[in-house]
Amino acid sequence: MKKCIVFIILFIMMILAACGNDDSTNANQNNNGEENTDSSTVTIWHNFAGDDLRAKTVRDLIEKFDEENEDIQVEAEAIPVDGYRQRISTVAAAQELPDVFFTYAGSFTERFYEGDLIQPITSLINENTEWADSFLPTALEAYQYGENEDIFSAPVGMSSTSYLFYNKSLFDKYQLEVPKTWDDFLDVINTLNEQEVTPLALGNKAPWVAQSTTFGAIADRVTGTEWFMDAVAQEDASFTDPVFIEALEYFKQLVDAGAYPEGANSMDNTQAEQYFLQENAAMMINGSWTISSFGSTVSEDQLNNIGVTVIPSIPEGEGKANTITGGPGGGFVLNSNAEGEVKDAALDLIYALSNDEAQKAIAESDSMVMYDVEIDQDKVSTLYYEAFELVRSVEFAPVYDLHLSSGAGEAINNGLQEIMLDGDVEAVANKLQQAQENAQNEE
Amino acid sequence: MQQDIRVENKSTYQSPFFTKRGIGSVLRIIFLLVFSFLMIYPLYWLMISGFKSNEEFFASPYALPQEWTFQNFIEAWQIADLGTAMINSTIVTVGGTLLTVFIGALTAYVLSRFDFRLKGLVMVFFVIGMLIPVHSTLVPLFTMMNKVDMLNTYWALILPYTAFELPIAIFLITAYMSSIPKEIEEASVIDGAGYWGIFFRMMLPMSIPAMATVAILAFLRYWNEYVFALVFINDSSLKTLPLSLSIFSDGYSTNYSLTMAAMAIAVIPTIIMYVFFQEQIMKGMVAGSVKG
Amino acid sequence: MQNILKVRYWLILSLMPALLIYTVIVIVPIFWSSYYGFFSWTGTTDPKFIGLENYIEVIKDPIFWRALKNNLIIVAASVFGQVPVALFLALMLRKISLFQRFVRSAVFLPMVISTVVVGLIWGYIYNPQFGIVNSFLEWIGLESWTKSWLSDPSVNMYAVSVPIIWNYIGPYLIIFIAAMQNIPSEIEEAAKIDGANGLKKLIYVTLPMMWTTIKVAIVLCISGSLKAFDQVFVMTGGGPAQSTELLATYMYNNTFVVYRYGFGSAISTMIIIISLILIVVSQVVMKKRNKKGGKE
Repeated sequence: MKKCIVFIILFIMMILAACGNDDSTNANQNNNGEENTDSSTVTIWHNFAGDDLRAKTVRDLIEKFDEENEDIQVEAEAIPVDGYRQRISTVAAAQELPDVFFTYAGSFTERFYEGDLIQPITSLINENTEWADSFLPTALEAYQYGENEDIFSAPVGMSSTSYLFYNKSLFDKYQLEVPKTWDDFLDVINTLNEQEVTPLALGNKAPWVAQSTTFGAIADRVTGTEWFMDAVAQEDASFTDPVFIEALEYFKQLVDAGAYPEGANSMDNTQAEQYFLQENAAMMINGSWTISSFGSTVSEDQLNNIGVTVIPSIPEGEGKANTITGGPGGGFVLNSNAEGEVKDAALDLIYALSNDEAQKAIAESDSMVMYDVEIDQDKVSTLYYEAFELVRSVEFAPVYDLHLSSGAGEAINNGLQEIMLDGDVEAVANKLQQAQENAQNEE
Repeated sequence: MQQDIRVENKSTYQSPFFTKRGIGSVLRIIFLLVFSFLMIYPLYWLMISGFKSNEEFFASPYALPQEWTFQNFIEAWQIADLGTAMINSTIVTVGGTLLTVFIGALTAYVLSRFDFRLKGLVMVFFVIGMLIPVHSTLVPLFTMMNKVDMLNTYWALILPYTAFELPIAIFLITAYMSSIPKEIEEASVIDGAGYWGIFFRMMLPMSIPAMATVAILAFLRYWNEYVFALVFINDSSLKTLPLSLSIFSDGYSTNYSLTMAAMAIAVIPTIIMYVFFQEQIMKGMVAGSVKG
Repeated sequence: MQNILKVRYWLILSLMPALLIYTVIVIVPIFWSSYYGFFSWTGTTDPKFIGLENYIEVIKDPIFWRALKNNLIIVAASVFGQVPVALFLALMLRKISLFQRFVRSAVFLPMVISTVVVGLIWGYIYNPQFGIVNSFLEWIGLESWTKSWLSDPSVNMYAVSVPIIWNYIGPYLIIFIAAMQNIPSEIEEAAKIDGANGLKKLIYVTLPMMWTTIKVAIVLCISGSLKAFDQVFVMTGGGPAQSTELLATYMYNNTFVVYRYGFGSAISTMIIIISLILIVVSQVVMKKRNKKGGKE
């Protein structure tokens, strides 16, 4: 009997050991800087895991860098977007970040700076002044922290979040003009509702969408940019100020006018895009990502039928009219543990992923960049080109959740959903104010 | 076996339409059919959706595909490297399931057959494990595994999977073993078999239905587990299936047709496994009824 | 007895693997995590000790109580949905005929689909524009009943409970069938000879014999639904406006979206405490019934 037991246990151990064996080699390639100091192996984590054009482009850039630099070995790892924040956050808490990793602008990156987990890439900026000067205004500032105003990353994308897309043939059919002012906008919405066409498609299941695409731009037109920056700093302005309540009221007007389809809060972004494409809705306010996804899934005819413009002006407001909310997108940052050869190699890699050539390649994969590039019109979709030109003719307004603390971002996101469910505007303002105040106090 | 067939004959042998109990039987069958339909439909929907293009998926989500092409499946297989993922998932899942069932059964045998002072405490101790949201253990576990260099190995998944499934395994098998009459093994005690002997020769074979149940539950959970796989494995050559299924979303938009195709592929092995274990459960049941 | 040493040795040896794996991987991290609960920690900066502040904030947060209430809805839906339905089906499906096997497999089928897919599919079924539920209601002329099931806070908690019930009937069915099969047939025969059949046999023979299993099922049900996460996370993410927030999603959002590790850890400690209380309560209730039932 005993033999039998021993045999079974051995058997199980063998299976398990066999499973374990071939990774013992992999374990040595653990993704942290310290272990790799003997050779210039650079580890990089990013979220360009998918099949979309931009992801492929970035992966190609990394591969190319690896091939061209024989003395540097790149260990790249692509993590699905859905799990990226969670993965990076967990690993950061255990202090095990890779040498180089992709980060999002705003509070996500700020945490790494505060925890001393990343180091500046100032040397890159100083060595390549022409390159640094080619970034659009505010691009590098978004990654500037500390007293020395060190720069920690160079964005490889732009998040321009508030384009107004409209269906040209539906607008022709109902003899509508593209709305220029808020009143026009409400008229268009009313007409469409009378014709039983949903005015605006919105996929607000992930609750940041309404905030990032629609509310930020409306609020900027009402309050002006300066007020918002003051409120973020909690200096001389508070989110309970009447001017902010007014901004929320404007958003509520859209809801009350029936601009959004039923159940917008449970549709995801893709479903909303499809809803718009299938002409169930005549307009959609969304970010540049929509252009990329239309570019890869929609026929040329359908693309030509879509127009793109900015959100209507609000003449009574304090802010400028012709703006799009936007700012730097994600970029690559450098682990504070990286030193010596690894650091040099990592800096080279970061440069290779954000230099002139890289920015152009990314721009030509139908996605916006924060960099002054000339793109080849033939290489991109018509809609993208139109939007690209549009962006250059307007000014940027701040995206709310890029500047707010993460807690306050949650508060306004959930608050807008509450307003869509008939919630109280002032209660939303109060919660937002409280969250931002708490975050400021903690610092 | 014979007994079961006999019982069955009694209730359903006569043509149901001409007997008194006929209407009841027919209603029952209709009810069961409708119920089965409700249970199967979503899987069916997943399968047909895998054949559709993105546009068709949104335009007519419930209709049959206009043309049946395997394009999505091929693309999904290649882009997500499902082959590698499938192998990794198999190793992790099978390893974890074996470990879970063996340790679970051993512990259950002790808990169901021996009385000792700390028994109640041990039971409570295991209950706690069923209440823990896995997300809260991520950071401590990651730190621990990192210290012992276990990250990026299959063990980094097999051990946590087993540990978190053990309470359920222990409970199910203990409950089952407790209901097996004690007289049966008393005979073998007299025969002189040791505890291992009783365990392997008596308890294990008699608990096959419970163990098969645990095996199914464990297999399915491990096969579909996402969070641990996301955090504890870096190396793309060790990635398991659930990670590969989520790469068709870029955070803003999702390629539904490829996602559906990949999910349909991923579900096939679990169906096969289920059919296999269901056989085991049935066999165990038959054995159980013969025994009586 | 001379056996005592041998028994002790055997007990230690056989309990060791389970206790070891389980303690290191499950129990240690829990305490570790409740310890984080005493800190203000974003996960990147140095943790700052703040005593019980996080725990107090959890208790004061109305969203926590809403999440708890929502979780209890799921618990109730599971205990009173999954267990009776599975039991009912188990009674109807004891044979090994082909048809019954088919039905059994069908009932188990939702289990083989990953929870993420379940969430995704049901998201579609509930879709207000082209979902099956609304289409069906329109088709039978109940247009006024159509709703946006997942975003209307007056119904969405019930709407998200259905897929969870649907998802997990299978395992309970199997557990029950296995338990029923394990009832010695002499007892059934004896009951039959005594003239007990149908309902009587069910109440006086079958159910009492299965009582241990039913208790286990209920404990599994409670603990499982207190941890419920995946399906709801995929269907609604806890929204809109946190109306379908569950304890687990509440914890997840605070830890991985707002980056408050300490606070998130405090929540998970609270989840464990609440679950323990619920399990103990359910055990006490069931014990009482047990005594009344007079079994054992």
